[in-house]
Amino acid sequence: MLYYLRLIGLFLRASIQEEMAFRLNFVVNILGTILSLTTGILGIAILFHVVTTIQGWTFPETLTLLAIYQLITALQNLVIEPSMNSLGGIDGDAWTGRFDYTLQAPVSTQFLVSFRKWRLWSFIDVSLSLILLCIALTLVGKHIGLLQLALFVFNLCVSLLIVYTIFLLLSSASLWQQGIPLTWIFNSVMQLGRYPVGIYPGALRLLLTWVVPVAFITTIPVEVLTRQASPLVLVAGAAIALGLLALASFCFRMSLRHYTSASS
Amino acid sequence: MNLRGGWELIKRSYLGWLAGRGFYWTLTFGWMVPSLLYLFVWATVAGQGQVQGFNRDGFIVYYLCFIMLNQFTYPVCNWTVGDSIRFGRFSTWLLHPMPPMFEVIATDIAMKVVCTPFATLVTMMLLIFLHPALPFSLWSCLYFLPALLLAQILRFLMAYTLALLALWNSRADALLALNDTLIFLLAGEVAPVALLPGWLGILAMVLPFRSMLGFPVEVLTGRLSTVEIWQGFALQSAWVLAVILLYRLVWHQGLRHYASVGG
Amino acid sequence: MTESHIHVRQLSKTYHVPEREEGLLAAMQSLAHRRFKDIIAVDNVSFNIKQGEMVGFIGPNGAGKTTTMKMLAGLLYPTTGEVRVENYVPWERKTQYLRTISMIMANKNRLNWENTAIDSFRVLAAIFRISRADFQSMLEELVELLEIEELLPKLVRNLSLGERMKCELAGALLHRPRVLFLDEPTLGLDVTMQLRLRRFLAEYNRRTGATMILTSHYMADVTALCSRVILIDHGKLLYDGELAGLAERMAPFKLIRLTVDDSREQNASEIERTLLNASFPVTIIDQVDRGFSLRVEKGHAAAILTHVLGELPVVDISVEDPPIEAVIDQVYREGVYL
Repeated sequence: MLYYLRLIGLFLRASIQEEMAFRLNFVVNILGTILSLTTGILGIAILFHVVTTIQGWTFPETLTLLAIYQLITALQNLVIEPSMNSLGGIDGDAWTGRFDYTLQAPVSTQFLVSFRKWRLWSFIDVSLSLILLCIALTLVGKHIGLLQLALFVFNLCVSLLIVYTIFLLLSSASLWQQGIPLTWIFNSVMQLGRYPVGIYPGALRLLLTWVVPVAFITTIPVEVLTRQASPLVLVAGAAIALGLLALASFCFRMSLRHYTSASS
Repeated sequence: MNLRGGWELIKRSYLGWLAGRGFYWTLTFGWMVPSLLYLFVWATVAGQGQVQGFNRDGFIVYYLCFIMLNQFTYPVCNWTVGDSIRFGRFSTWLLHPMPPMFEVIATDIAMKVVCTPFATLVTMMLLIFLHPALPFSLWSCLYFLPALLLAQILRFLMAYTLALLALWNSRADALLALNDTLIFLLAGEVAPVALLPGWLGILAMVLPFRSMLGFPVEVLTGRLSTVEIWQGFALQSAWVLAVILLYRLVWHQGLRHYASVGG
Repeated sequence: MTESHIHVRQLSKTYHVPEREEGLLAAMQSLAHRRFKDIIAVDNVSFNIKQGEMVGFIGPNGAGKTTTMKMLAGLLYPTTGEVRVENYVPWERKTQYLRTISMIMANKNRLNWENTAIDSFRVLAAIFRISRADFQSMLEELVELLEIEELLPKLVRNLSLGERMKCELAGALLHRPRVLFLDEPTLGLDVTMQLRLRRFLAEYNRRTGATMILTSHYMADVTALCSRVILIDHGKLLYDGELAGLAERMAPFKLIRLTVDDSREQNASEIERTLLNASFPVTIIDQVDRGFSLRVEKGHAAAILTHVLGELPVVDISVEDPPIEAVIDQVYREGVYL
């Protein structure tokens, strides 16, 4: 609806204005991203200095995985994480007590909490990740058809949806149990997605595929691009995303109810 | 030596930290994840064939020890000192009849007491789950203790000195991030230092980062000959001395600058 | 029967909070085993407020005033009871309801810290679906009333406390709410600012006919703005009516201030004895040199006056009602025995 789009535009504008006040952040942010990318690449390089494949994954393929991990993280940092952290993170509504004002606004609280804060510098992170992705894909050397590209973009959207729903779930939880930065826990677990999920032993791999679907977030999009990803997997990913969305929305509504009966 | 004051400080810090234990366990978990990641990566690699003297069990034990040691020596003062300088608490510390370092150490100990049980639990679970062969011997444990002590002193002082740079410029936390990155690459987290290629390996042997983390782990897991152990001690001691000198410089100059600018 | 704007019946709220004793050992025990306590914050409160009324909630800290107000604003679910504001049930938090009310809380900021005031206003206008025309006219009115013209393009974090409060107030009223909940709005402001805020609220009430509920520890706020007060203590509603009536019921006392001529050879303790020797009880609450302040029961005032004027060389005398602050202070300290 036009009303919601207009609000998103205003939120974006407000976030830009806030960030512009800190020009130093721009430099610090770029340096941080470059540092992070460099350590990631160096880590893989050191590893592949010693072996040629890990569980069948070559250096270029692992590099592609890193690029996609960075890409998804950058997109997550664009709006999902800043908005959700404005609720459940340090200095967020739940911690400072500003949530009462958020609740007062005559808009869906879920909408507000999902879109109200953007982090513009992440656009640069996204660009850097895309550059790395292109380099990695060139090293892989395989030809990527249009269909594959379309499936990849579709999968990327599914991944982002999964990330969004997980953040929503964790933010809901932070309304119950204030003081634990739950989204930090998720970010830590996401780190395990820097390498192909196959390296983990049985139980952990199952956990990372079906419980906290890190596999669907990072490993599968790479497989779509560089190998044959079975259509069953793609459908499963989409199903998981939609299921999580329903669950997360429900939990959020429950959390609102709980918050409004427990705070003083 | 105000021992009673010190004890009260620790108790106060501890109660505060205990109240926020969910928060600090989350932090602990965050510190463990990179090491866990590389534990599984290297274990998988070694599953395809030994890597320069490390088999699968070797890697698992190495990294589990690394996690515990990292947890034990992690310098919380990274953030607390910078924050306290920025928000004015540091000035209050300067007014107390105890050197501010006591406050910082008290917080450090408190955090460790609150977080170490959690880390220990996770490590024990992994130990049971992965059941690697344990290479500990009496001698390796004995040599481990001084290595641990020197490593903790080195790591703490290094981080504290860097954090004190906030006395000049509040944006000094960028340097702390750099410090963390170098530790990640060169202290034995990405890979045991012995496996680092070419010039990177040589650099890692010389710089203080291995002395903070990788070296004690290598001692404990029995990977070093007696000669190498004593060489390591010598290097650790040299770096500790160097950092002490650096600390004194930064402290005196920093304090003068802070006081003149009106902390 | 007049339709009440705000209708509250048998409202109650009980909290379930964790508790822990002091000390290291107890702290470690609480790691494994948490204990809870039931706290009754609001206990069977009922009242009706008409459109346009300005009502003050008074009571000691922790009495349940803010909790009651939050339930009316829809921020809290009650444990039991019924509330209707403009025929809405607050905690259903219907969009239409939220556009009708506004709650202002002390020390909690609605505006974006890192943005200019006017930009925050525009975002609020969009969220509350205020038409461009309405926004312009309301903004002009608020700017004129609050005198915040030069503050609009400034960053909120650069404003002083008083300036920020004015902008917060403007932001809270942009959508022309018909019901206002004000929780300690003058907290931390200097005397001039408090006066201006009171004048503003009275003016807003006059212009828009909005119903207002106000809690404040500054009795001056309540006496200046509210014709009616509701006294809440330990979650219970103890008094609902005019402020003057409260003083009448709480403190049926009179204060007698007198000054004694010091040319006569009487020392202070002799004067004291004479004063206390009246046929009715007298409490000396203050004494400076030859000046005395006495508290006596209303009914006994005349008799005591006669006694004092007869026995002592009084140079100056006045009889007053006790100040409302003293009354409330006594209520807060000693509780209410109605």
